Amino acid sequence: MSTPTRRTPDHALQRPQKPRSAWKAVLALIALAVITVWCAIGVGVDFGAIARNWNNASGTLLQLAQPDYAFFPKTLTALGETVEMAVIATAVSAVISLPISFLASRATNPHGPLLAATRLVINVIRAVPDILYAAILVSVVGTGAISGVIALILFDIGIIVKLVSESLDGLDRGPQEASLAAGGTWVQADRVAILPLAMPAFVSQTLYTFELNIRASTVIGLVGAGGLGVLIDNVRTFYLYHYLSLIILEILILVVVIEFVSSTLRNRLAR
Amino acid sequence: MSTALKPERNVASPMERPVKPRRWGTKIVWLVVTVIVVVAFWNVDINWASLTNFPANAWKYLKLLFAPPDWSKTGQALDATLLSVQMAWIGSVIGIIVSFPLSFLATRGLAPIFVRWPMRGLFAIIRAVPEVVIAVLILSVTGLTPFTGALALGVGSIGTLGKWGYESFESVEPGPLEAVRASGGSRWQIMRWGVWPQAQPEVFAFWLYRFEINVRASAILGLIGAGGIGKMLTDNTQYRIWNAVGILLIIVIVVTMIIDQISGAIRHRIIYGSWKIVGFGRRRKSLNVATKNNATREGLNE
Repeated sequence: MSTPTRRTPDHALQRPQKPRSAWKAVLALIALAVITVWCAIGVGVDFGAIARNWNNASGTLLQLAQPDYAFFPKTLTALGETVEMAVIATAVSAVISLPISFLASRATNPHGPLLAATRLVINVIRAVPDILYAAILVSVVGTGAISGVIALILFDIGIIVKLVSESLDGLDRGPQEASLAAGGTWVQADRVAILPLAMPAFVSQTLYTFELNIRASTVIGLVGAGGLGVLIDNVRTFYLYHYLSLIILEILILVVVIEFVSSTLRNRLAR
Repeated sequence: MSTALKPERNVASPMERPVKPRRWGTKIVWLVVTVIVVVAFWNVDINWASLTNFPANAWKYLKLLFAPPDWSKTGQALDATLLSVQMAWIGSVIGIIVSFPLSFLATRGLAPIFVRWPMRGLFAIIRAVPEVVIAVLILSVTGLTPFTGALALGVGSIGTLGKWGYESFESVEPGPLEAVRASGGSRWQIMRWGVWPQAQPEVFAFWLYRFEINVRASAILGLIGAGGIGKMLTDNTQYRIWNAVGILLIIVIVVTMIIDQISGAIRHRIIYGSWKIVGFGRRRKSLNVATKNNATREGLNE
């Protein structure tokens, strides 16, 4: 006796049909390629130049590979100034941006037009790179650390306000509602119910901004705003590449150390 | 019976407030931070008195910049901005092409440890060096051209893109990988059919994000002479033609914000599958909070 085997219907054996979206991908690829070529022409991409200039480049690279450690003592002032600029800018911008963050979050600011205005201003501030601020401020306030500090502060306010107000948006609003229901004003409710909750995020973002500042303050000096950047600008105009590589080495170590300390602290805060 | 309800002797009476815990560690950290800040203020070479006329000065210069900006320079400013954006695009393309294979080489499970750690070290070093410094280094090879700027942005992109790449490759679901391995897939096939389909949207989003960063960074590179926004800016600040600087700033801000919006909308589409205009206070209900937060933060660093 043969048991009847259950037959699989034919259509079940067929592969499901792939949705046809290949033409979209092809179109997108073509568009991207066209944009890339157009940009390449605009920028004047020329990989041949690298090969042609290789001779004088190899000399430079050789110099770069031999940092002149004797130059180190002369960089100390600039190095210190870089760190000081970062510290001052972080401290000042933290103080300024805490209240602004509360103005820029829907959770803590029920006033629609004020909210929109604050966000617009912050977005505008954030769209300008730090070094552009520095370049303008150098002409306005004069060269030196002061214009660098102000540039960093402007830059930081944009970042801290954005990150902190976003974390305010995501907070638990129960306690705030409770204090509003108990007759508190918005300011009181935010102070009592939201601020303690927001504190870890705020401190963490401030620390993070400090890391950014260290990196940024090394370069804003290129336009004359103090710190290691001034030194970079000096040595590069005289093609002193063995000094330059020492400065880069210093930046590298400074950034890595600060990032390590700050990320350790931030991880502890997050726990 | 009633004895059970009696509070024990050494428990504080319920009417008293609980004692606040003393956190000595936290206090010490705050003290150290305060000292550092005070020392920095004390020691820095700044004449704080000169700040008293800063508000008046700032107002004066704001008027010089924007009242009114020199509209006749609009075309020139647009050209400069366009060049910067093109630099950013080419930089991103170079960064993507180079970092994409490298980030596979830095992924746990896909590459052996003696390849992985050097790769990660390379990414970390590149991330620590600012783009301008990279540009100063490359200068000697290619000269002062927009191409140098694009190359510097490309090299700078390798650091961040490489890191985000291996992070998102490592955070994929292990199931499909196992399936490919179980059916006899090679290392390459595991990448192609196990890792890539999962990581793809996130990686595309990161590419776009890096392009946004590069748009900001490209403005900086002009300051050392690579052309574009930075060059026009230095040319005009040097001769104190403030209303031309004003129009340039307006165009930079508008263009940056437009690009951020477009790119943000595309990123949202790639990750969540729907179009949405992303604004300032968007909420990230996220697939992968950790990586994305990371990217956002890294993103803000120029």
